[in-house]
Amino acid sequence: MIVFKDVCVGCGRCQPYCPAGAIHFDDYRSTVDQELCFECGTCLRSEICPVDAIQEPANVYEYPRALRKYFSDPTSTHAVTGIQGRGTEESKTNDVTLRCGLDQVGIAIEIGRPTLGMGLEEIQKITRVLARNGIHEIEPNNPINSMILDHQSGDLKPELLDERVLSAIIEMSIDKERLPDILRAIKEVIPELDSVFTLDVVTMLEPGLTVPPDVLSSIEAEGFSWRPNAKINMGLGKVTE
Amino acid sequence: MTHSLHREGTPGSLDKDYVVFIYPARGYNYKGCAPKVRRLVEIVYEVGPANMIATTLRKNLYSGVEPDEVLDSIEEGCRVFTVFNSREKLRELLTAFKEADEGISIVVSGLIEKVREVAAGVGLNPHTINLSLGIHGGTEGLPPLEIRQFTTMCGHAMISPHLVEDVIRRVKAGKLDTWNGSITLAKPCACGIYNPYRSMEMLEDLSSLYTVSRW
Repeated sequence: MIVFKDVCVGCGRCQPYCPAGAIHFDDYRSTVDQELCFECGTCLRSEICPVDAIQEPANVYEYPRALRKYFSDPTSTHAVTGIQGRGTEESKTNDVTLRCGLDQVGIAIEIGRPTLGMGLEEIQKITRVLARNGIHEIEPNNPINSMILDHQSGDLKPELLDERVLSAIIEMSIDKERLPDILRAIKEVIPELDSVFTLDVVTMLEPGLTVPPDVLSSIEAEGFSWRPNAKINMGLGKVTE
Repeated sequence: MTHSLHREGTPGSLDKDYVVFIYPARGYNYKGCAPKVRRLVEIVYEVGPANMIATTLRKNLYSGVEPDEVLDSIEEGCRVFTVFNSREKLRELLTAFKEADEGISIVVSGLIEKVREVAAGVGLNPHTINLSLGIHGGTEGLPPLEIRQFTTMCGHAMISPHLVEDVIRRVKAGKLDTWNGSITLAKPCACGIYNPYRSMEMLEDLSSLYTVSRW
């Protein structure tokens, strides 16, 4: 995003709206640090500028900067997935898609969230560790899949590494028995990270909203725990096509 | 939207915060889903959401949008994200959704134990769960939990911690009341699941003693 200096009246009202903290005063006018900006569009959508000095720059859809927008602006449609957002439908439609079956678990590693954002190099740290541990099953429809140069090494395309995004999600479905391997690999990368990630485990439920005990014991055995709140597919979907 | 399961706060506060998604699936029940989604949104309005957005319009409940405008915007593939500020409303909603039997995937994000009770009472058999294993990595760079309980209410991190601090400071200074402070915070949320009722209570809790420095 950019603030037109000639138009800006220097009220500073836009500055706290920026999730990246990229807007600051320069010569009594607000200006956007282009290195920090995620191109999320929050400042513009908030309609907080009294003189309409905030605009989207012409280069926002130019590769590779366009990745900032695709991964950070929830109202933009990702050029790779064709859907809004950074991930796929994951557990939300699992009652009809059965993408994560009875003998599988889904894993989502959401990097940069909450709040901090990240350079794309953070994704590479994780994809490399996963690859080193023989884990290559990143969801084909997830936009990160198209950013990987070499699935054997987990290396991303080098021209992407200087870009920054608010968050991105590494998603995969694996056989249940491999859950401990994945969790161990994830633990391995934690000390290397400059940013944060949130970790999700998706599993089909047993009757009475009972989480399969073998999934919970794998989580506990690797030193992780689960929070009291979760996202729950209520089982009301039907296949009609 | 993945992030709704990582909402932070006390169990008491999270029990006033149930996110619901209405989600048609490409290739499974996408074709002809518009009237079904529309009927489910009518039910959402009847129960009374704390916030809501339809992806075909992207205007949340506090943007001044009229229900008819939201309903008329619904077309094939429209997904709806909404939040309710009590378990009783969640129960009412799921009872009506079950009766409507529209065959569209419904997801609830909230306290597992409480959703289990509600599902059992309504007679639903939940299918899949997405568990949160928490936050890891460079957590020392995060804002404090008191701020994160606001920012994590937006599914896409559009609510800046600086804005939360700014609103807290304005509430403390008497320049903004807690409801309007919450609406200010809800405005940047493009996914419509920021719960201003919960936010108002959190601002009331913090405004007397919690201090913020100018960012």
